Amino acid sequence: MLRFVFFRLLQSMIALAILSVVVFVLARATGDPLHMILPMNASAEDYANARQYLGLDRPYVEQYLSFVGRALVGDFGVSIRARRPVIELLQARLPNSLKLAAFAMGVSVALAFPLGIMAAVRKGTGVDRTAQIVSILGQSLPTFWVAIVLVEVVAGRWQWLPAGGNEGFTSYVLPGFTLGWFVVAGMMRLLRSGMLEVLDSEYVKLARLKGVVETRVVWVHALKNALIPVVTFAGIYFAILVTTAIVVETVFAWPGLGRLAYDGITSRDFPVIQAVVLTTAVIVALVNLCVDCLYAVIDPRIRYAR
Amino acid sequence: MTSRLSVVFSLLCALLVVLAVVGQAHAQAKSELTIALSSFSAETLDPALQGHNVKYYLSLMFDYLVGVTPDGQPSQAGGLASKWEASADHKRWTFQLRKGVKFHDGSDMTSEDVKFSLQRAMSKRSTTGYAGPLRTLITEIETPAPDRVVIVTKDPTLIIPTYLSRSLSTEGMVLPKKYIEANGDDVFARKPVGTGPFRFVEQVVGSHIKLTAVDNHWRLGTPKYKNVTFRLVPEETTRIALLRRGEVDVADVSRERVKELEKEKFPVYFRKDEAVLHMWWVLGPDGRTPPTNDKRVREALNLAIDRNEIAQSIFGGHADPAAIPLGLSWSFKDVGFKPTADMAYPYDVARAKKLLADAGFAGGFPLDIYAFQLPGLPEGKAFAEAVAGYWEKVGVKPKLIPVDYPAFRKLWVDRKAPGIVGYYNIANRDWIGTYALLEKMAYTPSKLNDTVNDPEVDGMLAQVMRQTDRDKINTLMRNVFTRLRSEHAGVPVVYLHSPYATSKTLGRWNPGAVMYDLFLDNLAAGK
Repeated sequence: MLRFVFFRLLQSMIALAILSVVVFVLARATGDPLHMILPMNASAEDYANARQYLGLDRPYVEQYLSFVGRALVGDFGVSIRARRPVIELLQARLPNSLKLAAFAMGVSVALAFPLGIMAAVRKGTGVDRTAQIVSILGQSLPTFWVAIVLVEVVAGRWQWLPAGGNEGFTSYVLPGFTLGWFVVAGMMRLLRSGMLEVLDSEYVKLARLKGVVETRVVWVHALKNALIPVVTFAGIYFAILVTTAIVVETVFAWPGLGRLAYDGITSRDFPVIQAVVLTTAVIVALVNLCVDCLYAVIDPRIRYAR
Repeated sequence: MTSRLSVVFSLLCALLVVLAVVGQAHAQAKSELTIALSSFSAETLDPALQGHNVKYYLSLMFDYLVGVTPDGQPSQAGGLASKWEASADHKRWTFQLRKGVKFHDGSDMTSEDVKFSLQRAMSKRSTTGYAGPLRTLITEIETPAPDRVVIVTKDPTLIIPTYLSRSLSTEGMVLPKKYIEANGDDVFARKPVGTGPFRFVEQVVGSHIKLTAVDNHWRLGTPKYKNVTFRLVPEETTRIALLRRGEVDVADVSRERVKELEKEKFPVYFRKDEAVLHMWWVLGPDGRTPPTNDKRVREALNLAIDRNEIAQSIFGGHADPAAIPLGLSWSFKDVGFKPTADMAYPYDVARAKKLLADAGFAGGFPLDIYAFQLPGLPEGKAFAEAVAGYWEKVGVKPKLIPVDYPAFRKLWVDRKAPGIVGYYNIANRDWIGTYALLEKMAYTPSKLNDTVNDPEVDGMLAQVMRQTDRDKINTLMRNVFTRLRSEHAGVPVVYLHSPYATSKTLGRWNPGAVMYDLFLDNLAAGK
């Protein structure tokens, strides 16, 4: 197990090193940040001054080495747009994104598990058909549309819940539901198909023959073995929810990592773009590692095979 | 199993009801002025590190050396200088400072702070709108007394008070010398200290900026609101929902949603003529290139656009046709310029076609239009598509290239794609601000941003800077506008009116006519 973890970490570090070059080059290929921060009537002298002050007049190799050297000790430089250390911006935004993603994942699990399991147990009934409709809606309704409708109707017209911001528990409900809604569909479908397969297997039949209570057969024996694809899915989506919830964060004025990335890209804020991409990569790598470890906990056969 | 599910759903519904009640109670417990804006620009709180488009929150925290009235005229009542005068040769400007003004940290504001602030605004580190011209112009700043500052210029000039006023950028904001020297620039940028009617409380980048009132402030008395919060809410639907819920008092809204809000009885205030939507052809390294180096082609492209239709259909009637290239209308009254009826461009397809044929382009020519959205111009791409449609009707073969503005600006200043067309919603401003803009966008020696390349305009603009006789300046500026119009030096399209919706209980508000400033003073004033 330790050997496995070690090699996965090594792979992740190589990927991060390659990514650091790619993001450094591509960020600069998109344009000049001075066109955003300097006023429209800035002179050539203003450009030269700002370039020098921000260190953008140095050779690219020197800029890259400086970026990597500082990133290794957690210093991603200073945001060109906000003029604050990027690490400060990350520290402020990442917890917001993590909290929102956790809430959204909670919503997804709370809805997908009962619906997915019941759809499998009662295949072909009204519950199954309802679950299928929920699944189709979840995957076909665009996130931005769901978000706008919820803001317009639930927050604006009915005035039930806050429309934006991240003050208090109630402000999590609409963005959390919007983010979670999309995940519900996928998670539920995976769970339903996994459960159908497992419920038809020999060991489940044996458990029933031995007189194990049906609830225990479904929720313990069958569910545990249907979980592996769901865990993979949830892990990947958790990382996605943390790092790329740009639309939801924009609509609900939620100061998270996604909007930080978006603002960084639109203002050509190289230090922010680099930091967010690398942080995202680290999160994805860590989540994948956790998912792999979780497999072994859920299914001992995986642990023994390794 | 079904009954368990019912219980779960019932609990969820109950939770939603509880949340709704809590949410409404929260909404009703409002005790501050909250302004929701679609953009905070760069969110930098250091006035020297920003362009001029962040004034709406900075102008509450800081006082300017020279104040202005809501319609943008220099005022001895609104700034730290209670009076100012020029020497006979217009090379020494003496500012008398208001006594007893204190910074939010309790220290006294003196002439040393003014000197320090101005030097800082002109430093190489500064990215403010007019740092360059001031750097060129100012040779010395004297502080003969704690309440007196003398600014010495290289050449005679009239522009100093306006450049240091609230009507333009942030160079005139007075900052605390001792605080910045003791704590450093970074601390100042995080915890700014000014002399304004509101002091800084908190900034969460990407979320909000919170200020709290200063009692008995010389400018506003004790403000009506204890706290002012600027909330960054990029999505318009959310800003309107917040307004409906009573969570915000002021929100910028798009022109297309004005009718809906007015129907719901939300007061909507306009900043009239806030910007001119202006298009131009990018110059090549040596100036204009064919076919737009031909005046007839430029006139044809102007005549081919139905400005009234654009104002009505794209901007919901909240815009008026413009006629003067780079003509910022707030400056017209300052210099006594009144566009005549025959200056307005009629929509005349037949004449446009004839002019193109006369110029040898009866079969049209390809023309790249760069299409992008801009802050305050959500209609950007729709507008570019409309213009492309009009130009197609006269035989031109426009190609829309969707990019973002920085990509176009790079092509513009690098002059690597001569003849392409771009646009900007240029913020309106007074005559000095307009002159400063023309000195960049219509003055050949400025190179980088020039869009006109006309020696006659160059000559007149060069004279304006050296001139101290106001009547002569006015004549020169009027002649510049007339020349820009007669040469069709760009495509002025419409003057845009920018709407701001307010809560039903806020009371009357005059958002004023000051560049990039919502002029919240008369909303917040306690005296």
